[in-house]
Amino acid sequence: MKTIKLKINGIETEAPDRTPLLQAAERMGIRIPTLCHHPLLEPYGVCRICTVEVRIRNRVRMVTACNYPVTNGIEVFTDSERVRRNRRMILEWMLARCGHVPVLNRLAEEYGVTEPRFGRGDDDCILCGLCVKVCSEVVGANVLGFFDRGPNRTVSTAYDRTSDRCITCGACAQVCPTGAIRIKDDQEGIYQAMPMGPLTSINIDFMQAVPRKAVIDRDSCIHFKTGKCQVCVDVCEAKAIDHKQEDRVEEVEVGTILLTTGFQLQDPRVLKEYGYGKYKNIMTSLDFEVLNNAGGPTAGKILTADGKVPKSIGIVHCVGSRDQKYHEYCSRVCCMYALKFAHLIKEKIHGCEVYNFYIDMRCFGKGYEEFYNRLLREGVNFVRGKVAEINDAALDPSEEGKLIMRAEDTMIGVVRRIPVDMVVLCLAMEAKPEAKHLSHLFSCSTGKDGFFTEKHPKLAPVSTPADGIFIAGACQGPKDIPDTVAQAGAAASAALSLIQRGEVETEAVTATIQEEMCSGCQICVGVCPYTAITYDKGKNKSSINDALCKGCGTCVAACPAGAAYQKHFRDQQIFAEIDGILAI
Amino acid sequence: MAYRAHCLICTGTGCVAGGSFNLRKTLEAEIAKRGLDREIQVITTGCQGFCAEGPIMIVQPDGVFYCRVEERDVPAIVEEHLLKGRPVKKLLYTPPTEKAPIPALKDIPFFAKQKLIVLRNRGLIDPDRIEDYIAVDGYTALGKALTQMTPEGIVLEIKRSGLRGRGGGGFPAGIKWETCRHAGQVRGVAPVVICNADEGDPGAFMDRSIIESDPHSVVEGMIIAARGIGASEGFVYIRHEYPLARQRLQLALDHAREFGLLGKNILGAGMDFDIEIREGAGAFVCGESTALMASLEGKLGEPRAKYIHTVEHGYQDRPSNLNNVETYANVPLIILRGADWFASMGTGDVKENPWNGSSGTKVFSLVGKINNTGLIEVPMGISLREIIFDIGGGIPKGRKFKAVQTGGPSGGCLPEEKLDMAVDFDSLTEAGSMMGSGGMIVMDEQTCMVDVARYFIAFLTEESCGKCTPCREGLKTMLDVLTRIGDGKGRMEDLGLLEEMGAVMQDCCLCALGTSAPNPVLSTLQYFRHEYEAHIRDKKCPGGVCKELITYGIDPAKCDGCHACVRACSTAAIMGEVKKVHTLDVHKCIKCGACIEVCRRDAITRT
Amino acid sequence: MSSTPDNFEPRIVAFLCNWCSYTGADLAGISRMNYPANVRAIRLMCSGSVKPFFIMSALHKGADGVLIGGCHIGDCHYQTGNHLTKKRIPITRELLGALGIDPRRVRLEWISAAEGQEFAEVIHEFVKELKALGPNPLAGGDHAH
Repeated sequence: MKTIKLKINGIETEAPDRTPLLQAAERMGIRIPTLCHHPLLEPYGVCRICTVEVRIRNRVRMVTACNYPVTNGIEVFTDSERVRRNRRMILEWMLARCGHVPVLNRLAEEYGVTEPRFGRGDDDCILCGLCVKVCSEVVGANVLGFFDRGPNRTVSTAYDRTSDRCITCGACAQVCPTGAIRIKDDQEGIYQAMPMGPLTSINIDFMQAVPRKAVIDRDSCIHFKTGKCQVCVDVCEAKAIDHKQEDRVEEVEVGTILLTTGFQLQDPRVLKEYGYGKYKNIMTSLDFEVLNNAGGPTAGKILTADGKVPKSIGIVHCVGSRDQKYHEYCSRVCCMYALKFAHLIKEKIHGCEVYNFYIDMRCFGKGYEEFYNRLLREGVNFVRGKVAEINDAALDPSEEGKLIMRAEDTMIGVVRRIPVDMVVLCLAMEAKPEAKHLSHLFSCSTGKDGFFTEKHPKLAPVSTPADGIFIAGACQGPKDIPDTVAQAGAAASAALSLIQRGEVETEAVTATIQEEMCSGCQICVGVCPYTAITYDKGKNKSSINDALCKGCGTCVAACPAGAAYQKHFRDQQIFAEIDGILAI
Repeated sequence: MAYRAHCLICTGTGCVAGGSFNLRKTLEAEIAKRGLDREIQVITTGCQGFCAEGPIMIVQPDGVFYCRVEERDVPAIVEEHLLKGRPVKKLLYTPPTEKAPIPALKDIPFFAKQKLIVLRNRGLIDPDRIEDYIAVDGYTALGKALTQMTPEGIVLEIKRSGLRGRGGGGFPAGIKWETCRHAGQVRGVAPVVICNADEGDPGAFMDRSIIESDPHSVVEGMIIAARGIGASEGFVYIRHEYPLARQRLQLALDHAREFGLLGKNILGAGMDFDIEIREGAGAFVCGESTALMASLEGKLGEPRAKYIHTVEHGYQDRPSNLNNVETYANVPLIILRGADWFASMGTGDVKENPWNGSSGTKVFSLVGKINNTGLIEVPMGISLREIIFDIGGGIPKGRKFKAVQTGGPSGGCLPEEKLDMAVDFDSLTEAGSMMGSGGMIVMDEQTCMVDVARYFIAFLTEESCGKCTPCREGLKTMLDVLTRIGDGKGRMEDLGLLEEMGAVMQDCCLCALGTSAPNPVLSTLQYFRHEYEAHIRDKKCPGGVCKELITYGIDPAKCDGCHACVRACSTAAIMGEVKKVHTLDVHKCIKCGACIEVCRRDAITRT
Repeated sequence: MSSTPDNFEPRIVAFLCNWCSYTGADLAGISRMNYPANVRAIRLMCSGSVKPFFIMSALHKGADGVLIGGCHIGDCHYQTGNHLTKKRIPITRELLGALGIDPRRVRLEWISAAEGQEFAEVIHEFVKELKALGPNPLAGGDHAH
């Protein structure tokens, strides 16, 4: 790449030959105003506000900086009187069309255009073409275009109709300098259902994620819809992004498996009476954790969706837990974290009223009850009663924009109506929907509540009926972090001890299948609770894994062919016993 | 068959509209009826150029020029002229200021002062017959170029001839061809040859006439260009509104292909080249080179920045040579007769540098307030006065010359003091106008210069693609200001505003449509500022055009009570008895001008 | 049908699962609970391994009653063995009925390792019932024990 010399505003500089003048100036810190320019897009050069004076061999030329290729020996003047005069007139012309657009008015102020001679029009599109270009060049959906010509030129979709090619990526709204393009919620509440705002398709889950790497969501990523974009690839300096990654199926032979698949929070939208997604400022406990986090969207400030500091917050315990309609069980952790939230709010927002709506206060652990007492002293309002409904029905102007919580205060026997600025729902901890499938795969059953069933609730909380498969954490049942850590340690050591031993003691009374008699009906496979029997498709025979067989003999009784027998409990032995008994 | 006489009937669009196709049928029928069909041949030719006097017919070898010929004149022509040798007097051309007709074409001043290079074959050949073209040395230049010259030699010859683009830009064609050829070689990409037949200027019909009269001249020019540049693909981008020209051109291409002049291995010289016709769709802006190429590619017809030249990166990113119809039509004769011959006509000395002058001739469409309306070709350097008064026959109805507008919407208006200037590229630009594609609109004292400026700005506002801010918004605001001034609502600061806007548009617009758009306004402000001031200060329109500022009236001295105006008036604003002076009620008058059209005494006043 | 002698003592073959019912029976013994001596136990690992054939064989060989003891539902040491037992035994009883053997001679009981008392009670009851039913018609000859 050839380097050439040029002068900008009297200062000598160098640049690669044919670089756009705008870039060469930017490198020197010289700012040239633009309206239709975007670093990701090919320069369009239509607003003309970046027009500057260029002198080449005694000839003066006015050129647009965004797409003029620099050549050796040119002299550029970016702020001469002629340039400024042109910019003022262009601004006056633009204001005649779009008189109230902030970005134009900011520039107008900078150049001293206070009384535009052609008045101020009411349009908000400056016809910069950024939306059209981003939709075709980057996104590849080709939804927007220019229509009609001259002063009647507009930007629209084909035939002004809603386009079915639009993938609702929002790139057009993102690049629009005037805010003329807005994203409208098509389904009511869909945006508010993400109180932290929409995420980009490539995202790091949360600040403390380990590993802290970005993940691309295939369903929303533009590249997978149109084949274009890949802006992330362009900007990644480490060149770490690869859209071609595919799921891989890897086969690994192991002797022990730990299932620690965790939990999910119940979907708040099924509890329609709480209005999640319908009203702003109602969030789940995890949403609140994100909001409160120093690495979150507000750097840890607790703010409503409008960016204001809430003066009152309601925290609802037992949402979906202890509820015959949803989950009969108690989710164990909510009372304590609800109290934690209350304390945090009190600390961060002085004078904020906090209301905790609870049924029972479950403070079972070390220091938990003491913490609760502290909160009572801090002036947190505790209302003992289930919240019946949350709505926005303001009774007077002072309640406009607030959330009205209705709950029975069972202590005083009154139905209370409390307006708050923000609500946090402590939702039930649920088993993940995949748990059922996993339980079949790993032959550990799930209980009525959906969580994995441990081998013995008291004596073997981390084991499953299948030897070598262990469970730990919330997948076994709702629990907090200390309990999870304890269980994880237990499961790990159980697994390790198996591995350490190097050998497995099998039962003495295991069953065996006589191959020649086996018809391959697989009835035995179904009855074995330990998945100790496997069916060989090639041989059409089933066989029993001695290491897994516990010797119950159920398969023996089930086998229609009598192919299975149990050591030490063979039919002849039983018959002999019967004979023996009845002989006397 | 040896004919003793030929009847050449003009079938340019103008004369066709006047019925020349039917005229031909009738004439042929009459000739056959009289048994003269073995002696006299009827030929249809291209535009004769004297369009206001059409339908035109020329009888050769007499060289008798008939104008305004109608079908009912046919028996007389056949009887009197063809059989008895006596030209029909009433069909001959009589100049408006003369009494006696001028029978011979060569004597008619309209034709006498013209120099036909591009239009050499008009009126002589049947444009539908390639044989006619070949008979007048057509395609000989191509033969010479392919067999006796190298491609570089061709380019050099054009360069030395000084031929400058006839579409308006005036860029030396030879330099363009040279750059295009070089780009093609350096980049290793096949160049393409494109002919701009979009002709968007209102009132311009030069290119149309050339294609309708002599399509092969353009085709031959393009093939020679392709040889010089190294292209094997060519396009003619013709505007949608020229169906007859397109038809004639397509026929010419088909015939050329049949004769081995297009396609593979042209004339056995190892050159492959073919031409495709593509149509525009009603956009003036597509006459601009980058917009034209975008349109050819099937994209929106919008211009782009020309910091990267189309001659290096044009159609489909290939080196593209775009020239106007008239430019290509000059090429065959330059090759045949040599660069020196061409450079000997015109102004300046172009032998070392084509920018140093304007060589050759230019085709102009002479229209407006002029006696001899039509298409003319004159050598560069001729004065405006000669064109307007000698060739054009002066201003009709004895009125006074006020201004002449040259170069279409991108050009400017020149006043009386400029009548003696030489017409060439640089002089016109220096005077504040431009050559443009060759439109020349003559104006008399009944033209309002503010209205002229408004008309062109209105046209450009309509035709602006709207892509860049200064053109889109600037034209709109200019139109608003000019309209206000025309309606008597102007302010003195509007004049400064117009000049300021014009300067910014010249600096900042993206393409030549925008940068040249202020020209009509700026040139009228320069030479006719007093008219603007009259509109603003006195609320008067000196030309009597701006409706808000004039009232109609009847001059009692001239009115003879013929009652024609009463019949023409749609609002019954004129009253009067037959043969008595009529009166006009200004409150009912809508200033439509219908009465002015029909009044033979010129008695309607506009003040 | 021959009349039942007064000194008829029914013989019960009990298939007891190792973990619950056998241990429960054991507990009854250790706790010195009184129950009739009519029952003879066959220990199997799980009630699920009781083949209907065993029941029929016992009856065929002259047992007056067959008791199958397993863990309570949900408590089976082998998770699901007793579920199969629960399905099988009723079918077996129906079949026996079809074959002319009173289904009441086969009894299924869930007895946990802690339920020694319940085991004893079951035996009392079962013996009483069997005495009322009389000897097994398939058994021939004397049953004086």
